[in-house]
Amino acid sequence: MRQRILFFLALFTFLCTSVSAQTTVSGIVTGDGDPLIGVSVRANNSSSGAVTDLDGRYELSLPAGSDSLYFTYIGFAPRAEAVNNRSIIDIELSEASELLSEVVVIGYGVQKKDDLTGSVSVVSTEDLVDVPTQSLGQALQGKVSGLQIIPGSGTPGADAIFRIRGVGTLNNADPLFVVDGMILSDISFLNPRDVESVSVLKDASATAIYGARGANGVIIVTTKQGADAGAGRISVSAYTGTQEVVKTIDVANATEYATLINEADINEGRPARYANPEQYGEGTNWQDEIFQTAPIQNIQASFAAGNDVSSFNLSANYFKQEGIIKGSDFERFTARINTTRKVKSWLQLGTNIGLILGSSDNVNSGGILLNAYRADPITAPRDSLGNFGNTAIRGNTGNPLATIEFNNNKSQDYRAVGNAFASASLGEHFTFRTSFGLDFTYAKNRAFTPVFFVSASQQNEENNISVFNAYRRNWLWENTLTYNQSFGKHNVDGLVGVTSQDNFGEFISGGRQRLIGEDPSLFYLNAGDVTTATNSNGTFGGNWGLLSYLGRINYTYDSRYLLTVSGRVDGSSRFGDNNRYGFFPSVGLGWNVSQEEFWNASGAISRLKLRASWGQTGNDRIGDFGYTPLVSSGVNAVFGVDEILLPGATLQTHSNPDLKWETTTQTDFGIELGLLDNRLQLEADAYRKVTSGVLFNAPIPDYIGAGAAVRNIAEVLNRGLDLKLEWREVRGALSYSLGGNLSLVHNEVLKLDGEQNDFFAGGLGIGGQLGTNSRAGFAAGSFWGYEIDGVFQNQEEVDQFATLGTQRPGDLRFKDQNGDGVITPDEDRVVLGSAIPDAILGLNGSVAISGFDLTFDFTGQFGNEIINAKKMSRFGAYNYEVSFLDRWNGEGTSDTEPRVTLAGQNIETLSSRFVEDGSYIRLRNLTVGYTLPKAVTDRLRMQSFRLYLSGTNLWTSTDYSGYNPEIYNGSVFDNGIDRGDIYPIAKTITAGLDIQF
Amino acid sequence: MKFLKYILSLTLFFAAVSCTEVLDRTPQGEFTLDNYFQTEDQAVQSVNAIYSQLREWQVHVFSFIGMTDIVSDDSEKGSFPSDGFFLQEVEDFEFTASNTAPASVWAGYYDGIFRANLAIERIPTVPEMDEELRERLLGEARVLRAYFYFNLVRWFGDVPMILEPFPADFAIPRTGKDAVYAQIIADLEAGASVLPTKSAYPAADLGRVTKGTAEALLAKVELTRGNYQSALDYAQSVISSNEYSLSSSYTSIFSQAGENGPGSIFEVQAAAYEIGGGGTQYNEVQGVRGTPNLGWGFNSPSDDLISAFEPGDPRREATILYVGEVLPDGSDIVIGDDNIVGERFNQKAFVVDHPGGNGNGPGNIRIYRYADLLLIAAEALNELGRSNEALPYLNQVRARARGNNPNILPDVTTTNQEELRTAILRERRVELALEQHRWFDLVRTNRAASIMQALGKPFIEGKHELFPIPQGEVDLSEGALEQNPGY
Repeated sequence: MRQRILFFLALFTFLCTSVSAQTTVSGIVTGDGDPLIGVSVRANNSSSGAVTDLDGRYELSLPAGSDSLYFTYIGFAPRAEAVNNRSIIDIELSEASELLSEVVVIGYGVQKKDDLTGSVSVVSTEDLVDVPTQSLGQALQGKVSGLQIIPGSGTPGADAIFRIRGVGTLNNADPLFVVDGMILSDISFLNPRDVESVSVLKDASATAIYGARGANGVIIVTTKQGADAGAGRISVSAYTGTQEVVKTIDVANATEYATLINEADINEGRPARYANPEQYGEGTNWQDEIFQTAPIQNIQASFAAGNDVSSFNLSANYFKQEGIIKGSDFERFTARINTTRKVKSWLQLGTNIGLILGSSDNVNSGGILLNAYRADPITAPRDSLGNFGNTAIRGNTGNPLATIEFNNNKSQDYRAVGNAFASASLGEHFTFRTSFGLDFTYAKNRAFTPVFFVSASQQNEENNISVFNAYRRNWLWENTLTYNQSFGKHNVDGLVGVTSQDNFGEFISGGRQRLIGEDPSLFYLNAGDVTTATNSNGTFGGNWGLLSYLGRINYTYDSRYLLTVSGRVDGSSRFGDNNRYGFFPSVGLGWNVSQEEFWNASGAISRLKLRASWGQTGNDRIGDFGYTPLVSSGVNAVFGVDEILLPGATLQTHSNPDLKWETTTQTDFGIELGLLDNRLQLEADAYRKVTSGVLFNAPIPDYIGAGAAVRNIAEVLNRGLDLKLEWREVRGALSYSLGGNLSLVHNEVLKLDGEQNDFFAGGLGIGGQLGTNSRAGFAAGSFWGYEIDGVFQNQEEVDQFATLGTQRPGDLRFKDQNGDGVITPDEDRVVLGSAIPDAILGLNGSVAISGFDLTFDFTGQFGNEIINAKKMSRFGAYNYEVSFLDRWNGEGTSDTEPRVTLAGQNIETLSSRFVEDGSYIRLRNLTVGYTLPKAVTDRLRMQSFRLYLSGTNLWTSTDYSGYNPEIYNGSVFDNGIDRGDIYPIAKTITAGLDIQF
Repeated sequence: MKFLKYILSLTLFFAAVSCTEVLDRTPQGEFTLDNYFQTEDQAVQSVNAIYSQLREWQVHVFSFIGMTDIVSDDSEKGSFPSDGFFLQEVEDFEFTASNTAPASVWAGYYDGIFRANLAIERIPTVPEMDEELRERLLGEARVLRAYFYFNLVRWFGDVPMILEPFPADFAIPRTGKDAVYAQIIADLEAGASVLPTKSAYPAADLGRVTKGTAEALLAKVELTRGNYQSALDYAQSVISSNEYSLSSSYTSIFSQAGENGPGSIFEVQAAAYEIGGGGTQYNEVQGVRGTPNLGWGFNSPSDDLISAFEPGDPRREATILYVGEVLPDGSDIVIGDDNIVGERFNQKAFVVDHPGGNGNGPGNIRIYRYADLLLIAAEALNELGRSNEALPYLNQVRARARGNNPNILPDVTTTNQEELRTAILRERRVELALEQHRWFDLVRTNRAASIMQALGKPFIEGKHELFPIPQGEVDLSEGALEQNPGY
């Protein structure tokens, strides 16, 4: 070992001192024994390069200072080769599928993929750039087995939601994010084009090193470094395109609306209000009014350089997206500076810094969408005088266009995320690393509402301004000592560390009325009436700290037998003194079967590896002071002849002094297979995750008063299968790949605390009615209501069957589950579905031939349901979805849709009528590109030039009637309830180019 | 040696991290219960928070009006048919356990009870404070708790009776209403024994519950229970305290100038500040829907109520605001909304303006007036067979309403118990119209079924006297809560 190091050191010294005579190097590049055409060959520390010809031959003059060559070719592993004074260098490239010796970024280190005992998936940069988005999460959808990406919302600039291996908690199920070693709760600030690789840590062997925060999995992002880029490379890329809403909801037109309302009036014992409904024609389609075709654009320039001593990567990016809802937009400028420098032979220093300026125009999209869904189609958007139509008269809704118009709400976010580190070699086997990271955010919001009048319920008598300013800072100090030593065939590496993290923020905000004018230049508090001033100040973005001790040992024997033991002790300020520290251990085993002597590697199965792991991790995302009861002030009361508002204070939520983290125990078995010379790769993991002591502020009965405390109340199981299959082949000039990943998840609540059988949550927005019940034996957040047995066709049927209270012909017939002749909530409600899909699918493929490339991605989910709650929540003569047109209006007219009413039991009671299938399959992205031939780009003094056309969300197949079947509301109890307020996603078409110099 | 140096410096690093005090944190800008209830001020603030709840939407606004007036024969929902449809269901007796109205008041009243329980449990632990004030605050909290329970027990019958802020077990079954009433009476008696009279409070404390409030509530509780002697005793105690009298002008009671007038026994204090609130939505939801735009137009007086007024009774004018009428402050003429048939409004809820937004109504909510108490005394006497002693109380109320017009509202003279009962109840109806008493009076006197059915409502006797326990509550109670019959 020592000899080898000395040899390398000698080599380095030799290389560094090797002189600057320019020499010529030539050779033949082959792959699989055949010559490869068009392989890019580049010398380090220089911009000179060459491309192999039809025979795989290249020739290149080696400039001064260059001592090695880089060979890159699509579908093949890149290779670096030291020149070593040779003039002929023949190279055999291996196919990319043999990237198995690639190094994978894991928690607090890197490991050879072959040596991993944990379940870790890696996505690299080229898979992240097709989808035109500012969000890395959106770009990851469908790429990784076991990782579910939910767009969350189509709000410009919105980040995606990540779920790794189901929902292992009833709490915040976001994974932990680590960017270049900095631990964060979100990665919304990252520009996907700055990302080198993303590691998705799924099992406990991989995540236990993140202890109390590892239970939901960990996403490790490594940003692009300058290391191997020679003398420097400039990349410029840009795209521009348009977005439009993926689909709109079918609602009644004006004639249909008037007809239905008339019928509802009659059904409810009032005279019909619209004479001659046909007179209204088609009327207004409010959704068409609020949506727009919106532009999107992105431009990026980056510069990377590096050598053995130092490296840096500089990038700048501008992204701008207008929203598909009028009035909303997002714009972001990001800059990144990543550097490393070897200041001594034993000491390396470096920084990774991202700077982000984001700004957006915000609209009340929830209100706008709901009003557009509900507003009566008879009223015109504007009347003949240009005033906004009064939609309050007929349907008791606001005019959504007026909501857009009388809105001035702008946000700005300034963020700096980065770290500085020093890494010192201590002797031969030890490396000490200390790293200090900081995430600093400064956020501003300014909202102005002018004086306006649309209707009695949509008006503002005094203009007003509110201003919000906040900062949050989160620092992380990590110190680790690693050890690595080989004893013959035994290899051991170890890690110990101690880290602390501290997060705090503060906001200050104020408001005033009666500004001296309505020009944007006056949108400041000082322009308002001082007697109307309000202000507020408090903590922002969390007040918490963590102190942790961590350790890991990897042992491998002859690259055949692998063992990983890791653990972390986390102390968290979020818990009371009694339960302040938790310990999270794991162990992983691996066997590279195909490395055994008995294995015939040239057989059909060229590679086989088995893995198994067990471990425990935690989740602590439950708010900061759940263990202590907080006193709310500002609960004021008026007293006295002079009517003085006197301060009051009380508790508004309960607390729980026994709070502790929830513990997830996960077992994982994995198999990795390479078939047909590793052209076909298969990776499968079966896992079982049991989370106990699940934390949740479960709703408590209102009669207890005040809000619920967070309690460790439940046990949840997730078991499933992650499957990944990939085929890659190169045939002459054609290279293609086909991949698929499938995640099967079974989610089940194993038990609820104590005597509790039911666990109701998920408000439907109708009189405190709850939509979900997380009953033991069913999925968390299962939908809970009546099954529909049909529609009462006549009075005899009403008399004959069980009814829910007073029912009439035309009403829904609820199924009497226990057959006792009455419909009762306790006995007759059943599970109607769940928002958790049984299967998540990703399919992707690529083809490249003579400069043309095509990639496609499909994503899908199956077996999840949605409560169409917006259809149930009616507080006025709202417009109806077209499904109401199939209503019962006389015996035999319908056995599924009841008589039409404005509200009442047929609408407001949760039943299978409102539960829809949320399965879908979507063409997530289709990209076609063309790369100019090398001969052309050489003449243009470019390294490469690619043009492409890309379509995102082009096609979706789903039975769901709403905008998008991906309904995410922030909690497992709440997901899948479509209240009609989620900003829809867009169908996007862009054209772009990528140039490298 | 070098190795030792490494070890030493590493240890220093590791120790430095461990010494960061990241785990020692306290909530910023707010108290925790552990460091609260240390001062007199904090004790006062904990009771103020109970009063604050009285202004809340759930306690005295939308559903409250629905479940007292709209459900009764006095008023209709108002606005247009589909607006606030759950209240239409209340009006039409088509509500189920999932209706918003019962769920809303239930949550609001129990929040108030929680705050009272917290104050009652913790104020005794405040280390140093004026002992008289301590007793007074405890008395206020108990009277308010009794008030919350009184409305709950009248709406729902048996209810979970919770007297501590942090019960060990959340699965709490309903307590029989007799026991709930016993607790209400105990709380009110405790209040009556320590609270100052209205005039004994400093002017700055106007609006707090008084000895008179407690006794007057006791009179009403006992009347509701049919304990007429006891009701009479409490009523007469209030009357003889000479703390209250009838304001000379009926109309003025409901103006802002008439707030906390001579007849005010219990009034929710509201003051609409442009900044900081202090108002209620009570005015807004009942305000004119149309022009001038003052509100939503709920709680529309019914034909039946209008016909209940005797000819010439000026209280009709004072109660009902018609389209075309000049507003009480003379500022404008009411113009109706073309889309709503038969619009009229509750004039008693009228306020001139809503500073700081329509939801911020400045009008106090009159919970208990002296006229109410006089009529309770009259009713109790009549039920006790002392009808001629009842007459002066009844006629005192009529005389005030009559004002200077000798041609209307003649004194009632009958001493026939049955006739007098009818007269007293009708007097209650018109005197207290649209002040959220009617439903409780109908149920209390067992007339809800006959009167509502006579109006064609699908009222089911034995069911609709009580509202359903909110379904969400039954669901969350882990089986502890049983539903009312028929729901």
